[in-house]
Order: sequence, then C-alpha cells, then structure tokens
Amino acid sequence: MIDTAIPSAIGRVVATELKPATPHQFHFWTPTETSIGIGAIVKVGGARSGEQGAERIVYGVVTEGFAYSDLATPLHDVVGAEGDPTRADAAPTARQQIRYWTAAVLRQTPEEPLQPVPLGQVYLADDADVAQALRMDAFLYSATPTAIPVGLYTSAGRDSPVYLDADFLLGPEAAHLNISGVSGLATKTSAVEFLLASIFAHFPAHKGRVAAVCFNVKGPDLCFLDQPGDLSDEDRHRYERLGVPSTPFQQVRLYAPLKADGVNLNTLRTHPDLVDDVEPLTWGLQEVVDYAEVLLNRDDIDAKADAFIDFLRDRVLARTFDDGFGTTHRVQTFADLDRFFRSIFDGLEITAGGRSDTWRTHHIATMRKVRNRLLNISTRCKGLVTDDGPSSDLPWNEFKDRTVYVIDIANVDPLGQDLVFARVVSMLREQLERRELGVDAVVVFVDELNKYAPGDGPDTYVKKMLLDISERGRYLGLVLFGAEQFRSQVHRRVVGNAGTQLFGRMDMDELATPGYQVLTPATKSKLATLPIGELMVRHPHFTQPIFIRFPKPPVLRGRDGVERFPPAADVPFEDAVVRQLVRLDRRVRPNQVKDLIADREQDDVRRALAAVRRTRPDDVLAYFRKVLGARVDSDATRPREHQAVPPLNPISDEPY
Amino acid sequence: MTWWHALIEAGAVPAAYKPPPSAGASGRDEAEGIGPADLVEDAELETHAVPRAAAIPPAVSFLNGIERWSVVAYDGVAQIVNAYVAAAVCRRDDRGVLRATFERSRAFAVAPIDRLSPTLRPLLEQAAPDIEPIDDELVDQPARYLERVESTVRRARAHLERELAEAATAALGADEWLVLDGLLSRSPAVARHPRALGVIKSHGAQFLEGRGLERALTLAAGNRTSVFAVRGGHTRTEVYSWYLRLWSWEGNDLLYGLLRVEARADRETVSRASEVSGWLWAERAPLATPATRWDRLLYPLHHVEEYLKARAPRSPAVRSRLPVA
Repeated sequence: MIDTAIPSAIGRVVATELKPATPHQFHFWTPTETSIGIGAIVKVGGARSGEQGAERIVYGVVTEGFAYSDLATPLHDVVGAEGDPTRADAAPTARQQIRYWTAAVLRQTPEEPLQPVPLGQVYLADDADVAQALRMDAFLYSATPTAIPVGLYTSAGRDSPVYLDADFLLGPEAAHLNISGVSGLATKTSAVEFLLASIFAHFPAHKGRVAAVCFNVKGPDLCFLDQPGDLSDEDRHRYERLGVPSTPFQQVRLYAPLKADGVNLNTLRTHPDLVDDVEPLTWGLQEVVDYAEVLLNRDDIDAKADAFIDFLRDRVLARTFDDGFGTTHRVQTFADLDRFFRSIFDGLEITAGGRSDTWRTHHIATMRKVRNRLLNISTRCKGLVTDDGPSSDLPWNEFKDRTVYVIDIANVDPLGQDLVFARVVSMLREQLERRELGVDAVVVFVDELNKYAPGDGPDTYVKKMLLDISERGRYLGLVLFGAEQFRSQVHRRVVGNAGTQLFGRMDMDELATPGYQVLTPATKSKLATLPIGELMVRHPHFTQPIFIRFPKPPVLRGRDGVERFPPAADVPFEDAVVRQLVRLDRRVRPNQVKDLIADREQDDVRRALAAVRRTRPDDVLAYFRKVLGARVDSDATRPREHQAVPPLNPISDEPY
Repeated sequence: MTWWHALIEAGAVPAAYKPPPSAGASGRDEAEGIGPADLVEDAELETHAVPRAAAIPPAVSFLNGIERWSVVAYDGVAQIVNAYVAAAVCRRDDRGVLRATFERSRAFAVAPIDRLSPTLRPLLEQAAPDIEPIDDELVDQPARYLERVESTVRRARAHLERELAEAATAALGADEWLVLDGLLSRSPAVARHPRALGVIKSHGAQFLEGRGLERALTLAAGNRTSVFAVRGGHTRTEVYSWYLRLWSWEGNDLLYGLLRVEARADRETVSRASEVSGWLWAERAPLATPATRWDRLLYPLHHVEEYLKARAPRSPAVRSRLPVA
C-alpha cells in the first residue's frame, strides 16, 4: 500500500564554503535523535518556493555521519569536569550538539542540467522514492518489466523492495554476480539461494527459460534445496513483500559421484528418505580425455603433450587402432587405455630393443606423462571416473525451466572437482551456443572463487574457463554467480565483469585493500559489522552501493539438513546394488538381485549396473540379468584389471 | 532590498562600519544607578563556602539577549545606523537539553531624523519599518554620536529583555526558576519573583568598600559573600545580592570567575543563598567556551546568546567580503 501521509522533514541540507553541496554530494543535519543512519536513502525536496533549485528533487544515500558539540577543545571538557571523568556527566546542561550527515547523490530530477544539490528540506525516502532513487522505475514499471527482487531496503524503519534488472543480472546488457564476505555468517550461500528463488519467481516470460547449476564444493551446503527450512514470521513477511514464494525449490536434480566402491553415493544426502533423489554422476574415458588439459598442471602444458592428447582423441579412442607392434586396440575404457600404453611401451622396449624413445613422433616421456595424468584420475577420482563408460550424466539437451541442478563434488579430489567443473561448464557453453540445452539462460553458482580463480597463481584451465564465462557468457545466457571470501584476491577480470556485486560482512584487512577505496570509512565500518542477512549491493542502475536485507532462504540449510536427515552409513555392496535397481524400478525384489550377484565379480556387477543406468530399460531386472551375463566361476588368481594404476618398468629417469 | 539600500539609491553614501564596543559597555549593568549596600546577612561581610552537592532545580529557564548595530549610510556627516536586538528564553528539560520557549527581536533604524536631507528623510520614514530617533545635536561630533547610538541600542535591548523576563516569569511553573543575564532589578515584577535570579558578570560599580570590598574581590573559588541589599535600575527596586566565585582568581585577575547574584529582597533569599550558590557553582560545567568571559558566563546563558546569534540577520559589515581599510 502506498503511504499517502504527508512526510515531515527529518533534516535540512547545509552547505558552507568549506563543505559545499555539489552535484554528487551534499551534507545535512538532523535532530540528535533520528532514525537515519549510514545507508539510509533520503530525498531533498527542493529549496523553499521561489528559491533557486526549488523544483529540483535529489535522492541520496547517507555515506558518512558526524557528531560533535560546541566544545572548542577537549581540554575544556577536562577543565569543566575538573579532571574527573565521572563528573563529566554531572553537568546540568547538555552541550549543544549536532548530527551531521554526508550523502552521495543517487539521482537528480530533472537530470539535466546537472546542478549542485539545493539547500532544501531532507525527507526519508518512501517506496516510490526508493524506486526513483535507484532508477528501478525504468525496469519495474515498463511494459516488459525485468525486475528481480534482491531484498528489502530496511534503513530508517522502512522495508522497501529493491530490484535488480534481469537484463543486467542475467544478460544480455550485463551479467554475472559476485558475492564476497567472511565465512561462517551464512550470507553468501543463503543470498544466492534466495536470489535463485527470486529469479525463478520473477524471470520474465519474454526472456525465456532459466535454470541453475550449482556446484556444491563444501559439506552439505546445497544438498537440501528441495526441503523446506524454518522461516520466522518476519521472514515470511519479507517474502510476501518481495513477491517471492517462501517455499523450497520445486524442481531440484542432485548429482553426486559414487564412492570408490562404485555403488554408494559420495554425498552427505544419503538419508534413506532422500537418497533416491540423488543421481549418480559417473564419467568414462571419453569425457576425461576431452578435458585432459584440466589434469595437466602448468609445467605439463606443452605442445608435445597437447599433440599427443589430440592424437589419442582423434586416432585412438573408440576406434580400431593398430599400434604398430602387432596389437590392435579399441580403447573405450581406462583399462583399454592402460593396455594400449603398456603395449606401446613394451613394444618400444622389446621390439625396438630399447633403442628408440619415440613412437609415431611422440616421445616416450610425453606419452608417459599423459598416461600417468589420465590414469591417475581414474584412481584419484574413482567413483566419478569409471571404467565403464558414460553411465550417468547431466541431462544434456533436456534442461528444464526453473530447475536447479546441484552437483555435489564436496568430497571429490580437487583435481576431480576441476574436471567436473570444466566439463559441465564447457558442455553448458556448447549447448547454449547451439541453443540445444533446453533453457535460454543458466546460472552457474561457483563458491570459493579464491580457489578457482585466484588473482595470482597459475593459469589453470578452470581459471581460464571462468574468465571466459565472465567475459563472454552474457551473450550466451551463461551467467556466473561467484562467491568468495576475499574479493581482492580473485582475478580482477572475473570480479570486474560481474555486473552485480554483493558484499556481506567483510574483514577489515580486506576492506583496507585498494578495491574498497571508493567507500567511505563509515560504509566500511558498516560492512565490517554487517549482521547476518544484510548485504551491500552494487548494480549498474545504482549509482551508489545500497544496503539491503534479504530473507532467510526457504530451503533447509546444509547443516540443518544433515541434522534432520543424518547421512546413512555406506551399505554393503549387495544392498547398494539393490537400492540402485529398486530406485530405477520399484518392482525389483531385493532377494532376486542378491541371488543374481552372489559370487559375481564386483566389477562385472558395477558394469552391468552402469549399463542399466545408462539404458533405463522398462524391465530393469531382466536387462540387468542380461547384461550381467551367465555366471562365471570367480578366479581369485586372475589379476584385477583396474584396481589402480600399476607401476611401469622404468626405462628412463623421466620424472613422470 | 533593505531600507538602507533605498537610501543609498537615493543618494546616501554607503557605509559598513561597526564601531568597536566602547569601554563603558562592559559595565552597562551597573551603570544604571546604584545605591549603597546594606548587609542583610551577618554583622559584617563574611565569606561562606557553598555546598558542593547542592540540589539543582529540575526545570530552569535562562534569558539572555544580543544587540548588533552598524553604520550603514551617511547623509552628509549624519550617520544612519541599522540596529538589531533580540532576546530569548531557553528552558532546560530533564535531560539537560535547552529549548527556546520565548523569543523576541527588533530590527530598527537609528537616525537623527531632523538632520536628514529633505530627500532622504521621507524615504527613511517610508522604507524603514521601525525608527529610533536620536538627538541631532551630536551629529557634528561623530564619536559621541556613536556612543549615544550604542546606549540607545542597549536600552532597546534592555527593554526587550525586561518584557521577555516579565512574560517568562508569568509563565514559570511551580518549581521552575528563571535565570537572566544581567540585573534583576530592571523590572519590579521580575525582581519580586521568588524564583528569579539575575547573574551579573560585569562589575563596573562597587557596592562595598573597605574590608568588605577586599573580602568580596578576593573570594576563594567555591565561596560566596554575605547577602546584601542593593537598590538599582531605573525602578530603584530593592533586591538582595551576593558575590560568588566560580573559578580561582589567583594567577588571573580579581574579577576572574566572579559573579554577582541578584534575587528578590526577602528573608528566604538569605536562607537560600548558599543553596542557590551551590547550584550556580554546579553550572560551571560545561564551560561556556569559546566565549572570552567563560569564567563567569554560565553555559546556558551562552547557549541562548549563540541561539540568538544564529537566528539574527547577518551584519552588513560582516556581509562585505571586501577588505576594510
């Protein structure tokens, strides 16, 4: 409801020769007891009628505050109290004092000619004023509104909604969001969760469909987005005020790799009531080789390695290939690849008598390096990377509107995390470019940018990819929502390309870095003491940073989720297989499965299970039985094909 | 356009001259006629230590005034003066905050009407809303003329303060006091009020002599003299008075930190003198700096003065940014 009461002035603009009012800044005083503070939005209602500037209205945000009395020197206070601090308050008269504020201009109407702020009365901004001051009227009240609620402006007792422009948050005009703040204050993840809910509720229809991909990189943070959290009445009121439903995400798809046993999920969302909603994420050799660059560190990156990887990709993988030593290969799994390498190395040593150290122009050291990198990932990320081909992946080409895809890689080896990130983002980019993804825009939420896109350190594949999204993603609809603790230590092009920036509570050391020089000491002080749920927002339409409060996300927080749905212990191999098959087909009887897999090699079972997951047949049990094949007596003496990467016979001193 | 600009446009010579205060100005409070002092407490003038923990009345109003004047135009050698006087009462609430409750001001011209040229006189009478005529016999003696102007303006201020004091005392609450800057005896009504005090900072006139005078002028800080009766002001209203030393005078001068307090001529005043002195002693803080006479200017009275200064129109002399020869 619009407040139609006539507002009363809360202050008056004053200007002196030393501190004049300018087109971008002004000063005003208020009574000692006032509701305004740093971050409050005020309106200067023009000078008295007839005075110059009477028609001009100026909106500003308070950036600094001063209080002082008519005390000429502190010594006079000492004299007055006769050196006794306890007597200082005993004086019968309170000294005349002032509350004096500095405000930065947000907007002037008319905007031309741009003139100094008139010396008029100062009023608190109401909802309409806030919309005007932040230039939200252009995208809030247009024929095709693009307003996305980001929170409430709550200074001075108000709760005015603040909106971001979808064209500048999700492209194409500008895009990306960066949020920084100290850890542990539940602000960064919570803010992104709320903002995603807001985007899903308000993303304009004319802009198409939108989805989100969230990488869960620590603990259970994003594992319970489909479960309702506890909201206070105050939070519900805020949701109502913002027009965002206070319900958890309706469509969440959660993906997690398997553990090394190949059947239990490597996630904290393993409670029996929820685990069925988790899709396994497992990749095979082809997926890894396509992103082999991720596995190579800076020292590894050279033209020779690149050339050999290209050779593998183009000539070897999934093709019938003669290695020149009398063996024909068809490399489809890591085990095949290992056999392929062994054949070459043996061939070079035995057939060539160890005299040659090149094969097909590739030096043996290069091949060993690439071999070690590729095969090590299958060991380090066993469960994510399998020998069994692409058994389970994100639903490429079939992304759904208003759906959150959570990829839980919190417990995956860092190298595996890089691989997941690189492949998923690359796939998103490729499919968005071709308009084949199923949605028109995807928000990719990446936490810990300090780790993935540091300002210094090596140029990793992931960092280059983040830079690429930051600089070109907005044209594709690929939007990066990045979070980090120290903004100053994230690559400047990543944060610089973020059209919208959110700041939670900041560390004073961080605030002392050059990136925060534009903020006044008072604003920095407020940032350093921001309570949970408050943020400072910078957005292309806002000429000054604005403080907002957002409601607690409508989802179960990670740590609460783990308490309410404690993770289940890993189940035995047989039970895990049963659970996965039952999940695919409720008709499957556990005993039938257990009888089927009794005395069978676990790798065979895993392979059959992967085939079932990949194929999704109508009759799961029948297909599983068919893929598993006839019972073969176990051969305990037969070496396992791929327990780990076996050592090679050293033929040189190369360090790989 | 101000009234003097109209005169200047009609041929008067512009001026922006604010004479320095005359030596007699500081003693204005005492210069209005005095009578001999009669002791009403003790057999001879004694000193009394004031209580350090005296009760401060919960509600007190403070009255002060200001005056400003400057020569703004010349008609020949006749000096035409723009004057402004104002007075206000500020009431102190239970949190120690002062808020204005009464306020009056008067802006007027001071001019020797009969000596003005036929062109300027009607113009002045038409343009200036308020004219205080002055004897034209001193026009040819500019220095003495300005002394007369000064006393005229001071008298206007005193009149304003008296009117305001009478209005303020009439409105005082049951336990409320009024402290005014200057003589209490200007107004009989105010002088007879049981909760009105005059605080005099200037000591141009001496009411005591001999040993009594010496004791009064060498009072130690935190002491008062015996109460004596004085008869002063135009009305010759009798009031009781005593001296009170707020700050130690040693190392400064005899009058440093010395106040003379006036209250109604009543036995109750004598019995209350120490208690009231203790209250005024407590008013030493906060210091009334940066006022030059902060040693004997109570902060609330200083506040009223600053309030009036802030609301007064800017002095033409100050308005000029050009260097003054």
